[in-house]
Amino acid sequence: MEKSRSGSMNFPDVSVVSTDCLKVNDLSFTYRSWGAKKNEPILSHLFCTLEEKSKTLLLAPFNTGKSTFARIISGVCPKYLPGSMEGDIQVCGKDLAYTEPWELLLTCGYVSQNPQEQFVATCVEDEVAFPLESLGLPQKEIAHRVDEALMQWGLEALRTSSNQELSGGERKRVLLAVQQAINPTLWVLDESFDDLDIHWRSQLADLIRKEDNTVLVLASRYLTQFDDLFDRYALLEEGRLHFGEKQEILSSFSRLCDDDLPNPLINQSISLKKEHMLSCASLTTERSRVSTLETNIFTLSVPSFSLKSGELRTLVGPNGSGKSTFSRLLCGLDTPKSGVFSLDERVVGTKELNRNVGYLFQNPDLQIFLPTVREELSWSLKRRKDLKNAQIQEMVNSCAALFSLDLDETPTTMSYPQRKALQAAVYYLLDRPFYILDELDNALTYSTALKIIALLRRNGAGILLITHDRTFGSLVSDQGYAITDGVLGGV
Amino acid sequence: MTTNTFVAGDAFLYHFDPRAKLLSLVLFCSWFFLPISLVGLYGVVFSIILLGSFNTGVHHTWRTFRSILPMLLFMVLFIPFNVRSGESLVTFGTFTFITREGALQAARLGGRFIGITYVCTLLFATTPMTEVMLSLRWYRLPYKASLVVTLAFTYIPFIADSFSQISESHKLREAGEETQKKNIFKRLSELLPTLTSALVVALRSIPNLAMSLEQRGFGRTEKRSMYHTLNAYTHPFTHFMLSIMIPVVLWVLCRT
Amino acid sequence: MQENKNALKVAVVAVLTAVVVVFTMMVRIPTAKGYLNLCDVAICFIAFTFGPWSAFIAAGLGTALADLISGYAQWAPISFIVHGVEGLLVALIVRQKGDETISAIKKIAAGIVCVTTVSMGYFILSAIFISGFSVAAAEIPGNIAQSGVGVVLGLAVATAVKRAYPPVRTLAW
Repeated sequence: MEKSRSGSMNFPDVSVVSTDCLKVNDLSFTYRSWGAKKNEPILSHLFCTLEEKSKTLLLAPFNTGKSTFARIISGVCPKYLPGSMEGDIQVCGKDLAYTEPWELLLTCGYVSQNPQEQFVATCVEDEVAFPLESLGLPQKEIAHRVDEALMQWGLEALRTSSNQELSGGERKRVLLAVQQAINPTLWVLDESFDDLDIHWRSQLADLIRKEDNTVLVLASRYLTQFDDLFDRYALLEEGRLHFGEKQEILSSFSRLCDDDLPNPLINQSISLKKEHMLSCASLTTERSRVSTLETNIFTLSVPSFSLKSGELRTLVGPNGSGKSTFSRLLCGLDTPKSGVFSLDERVVGTKELNRNVGYLFQNPDLQIFLPTVREELSWSLKRRKDLKNAQIQEMVNSCAALFSLDLDETPTTMSYPQRKALQAAVYYLLDRPFYILDELDNALTYSTALKIIALLRRNGAGILLITHDRTFGSLVSDQGYAITDGVLGGV
Repeated sequence: MTTNTFVAGDAFLYHFDPRAKLLSLVLFCSWFFLPISLVGLYGVVFSIILLGSFNTGVHHTWRTFRSILPMLLFMVLFIPFNVRSGESLVTFGTFTFITREGALQAARLGGRFIGITYVCTLLFATTPMTEVMLSLRWYRLPYKASLVVTLAFTYIPFIADSFSQISESHKLREAGEETQKKNIFKRLSELLPTLTSALVVALRSIPNLAMSLEQRGFGRTEKRSMYHTLNAYTHPFTHFMLSIMIPVVLWVLCRT
Repeated sequence: MQENKNALKVAVVAVLTAVVVVFTMMVRIPTAKGYLNLCDVAICFIAFTFGPWSAFIAAGLGTALADLISGYAQWAPISFIVHGVEGLLVALIVRQKGDETISAIKKIAAGIVCVTTVSMGYFILSAIFISGFSVAAAEIPGNIAQSGVGVVLGLAVATAVKRAYPPVRTLAW
């Protein structure tokens, strides 16, 4: 890839004292507390120095401050992260306390973990052109850079597609194309390898290897593409960064993620009240993908499927293969074109499926609407006519203890793993015989995800886990289903 | 839910300068309010419909008509009934059902309604939204305003998707509760959780959007350049002249 | 330093406009005589939670865009004025410093102003520019019902959202 950095940029000349691209001194940050409970500092007395042109891998389990750190060094704190921050940070010689985020456009490029957060334009080419327009580049230069970036990331055909129509991997590539068009000095890539498929992961790894930019990759899982890519390895633990040798960091990281804890699903004892079986045979359905590119109608056929109480099954397949389509049929949100579902040998319609199959959406915020955890948990129970208040309170208390939730916290300000746990807790109280878990391992450590599955299975529910991570799938169950070319078959 | 008003095509109107088209919109809409003969009014309306079918296809023209049909029928039924003066046209015994004045007024208002609808629809069907925004900026609409509109269009699909997922999520959560006969008040109060979750999800995206705008350079002191331009339209002057002359000529021809 | 809030203001107005568009086009509940659309719920929510300018722009622009997209382009300028003024007036009435709860009188006043603005505004402007007085008069009961529901539900939703998501206070301008 040839460098197309225009030399005529009106860039304020900063005399760099050291060759350090990033220098963080004694950084501490605490998120603002919104409820009665005071927050603990998420980063405390953090020191970090990145030399120019160095490639660093920062490993940290989810929700330990990785993204907070990334955001802070891209200059948006404390303006957009309400909280108290101490310490000083210099990016390429600029002191962040006196710099606005837009001044860092060419200095620090932050690629977010969640692409939806960063989209500012209606279609892909406008997204790539937006920051170039901010720089005031001439139109020809913008067009040249946009073309180059789109070509590099295989987005030429999706030029005029709306951002909403793209799959997870495509969205990540759009963000990477934007980054390439700007070509900042420091790259901060937050989980950028995650949704990409193997081909694009190697492309990204090659790019990091070849380019002269300083690169900081934040990850919560070690991927094979990371081999021989980085000069330095670091671990974020208890709000501090520890630099070290690769093996040392990897084993500490593994310990931090509780990977050495026993799998709670093996030999789990479950109390089964009544055994149910959900099945279907010769089911077909159609779905037209809302995309400017896909012209064919996608058909899914399910020759046979069954799930019993207490069983653990996985459903794997690449993105867009029809996993969500099937799950929606299974919980009664959609009706199949042909074929029916049976529960305990009896044909059931969508209403009964709604009642018996719980579907935990990937995004836990979809059903949170009450001010405290206690109210969220008691809401569904209060609507039942057969429970007394004392009973409800007891159920809520024991449930919160099981899922390690604080009853008085505000759900919307809790961390992501806690919100996921709350979502699972709400469904646990609903006591459905079957649960479908959509990509539970997304943004959770394996051990947290396994714990949640074990809790849901306690009362004998049958669980279908949808995932595209085969490692996680194998930890959950060795029996499952896979969708290949529109046909769901057993593995 | 689609936010697309553009219908793909390659006919004459698609190559007409969008700035001139905007001017035509304003002039034509005003024209319909001038004192013109009814015959002239309907002549122009049918010409516009014909022009529309030629450019965007008969299917689209029919779709537009179907969407305004309920309102038209409403007008046709109500207006004549309410105009009491003038000679009677249709009577039932001693009761005057429709008067001449009533019929004329209904015809005029109906014609105007159809005409304005087609003029507006035609503009947005033959001009992509980016070019509409570029034209408005050429007319000195401030950049921030056009950015707000573009961002709104970016976020509408996201919020719409979230909303459907949220209502499904709540539907699943509430499944199994006894379904009683629901009156309107019950239905509204049951919507409350869904609306609250939907608004929280939307509000959460605001700081992220603001952060992203600033990280992408919004606020820099350099003057913003433009990736898309209207340079492909090579005869703005001619098109402007046409946009002004045609309504003027039509007025001269049709005035009473 | 770091006091330039332009990006936040733009982001707030853009997202709220999108919310109003979605509520106008997607959120409908069936009633006896057709559908009741919930745009006024969104507008009142914004007016109760955010300031007058955000309410004015989001409400006006949102409903205008919704009309444009649905193919009712001639209502767009009328919706912009009527709903924009609705948002502006309600927000001005209930505006206060800090976190005090809004007094009942202000709520009732806001309700009356909202319903009057919407029904009278649409009546007068549609009568002059679109369909004549008799047809516009027939729409008044429907508009009163819709905006009435809007104020009541909007207030309920505003209270619920402020309790469920406290950081919303930092966004209001």
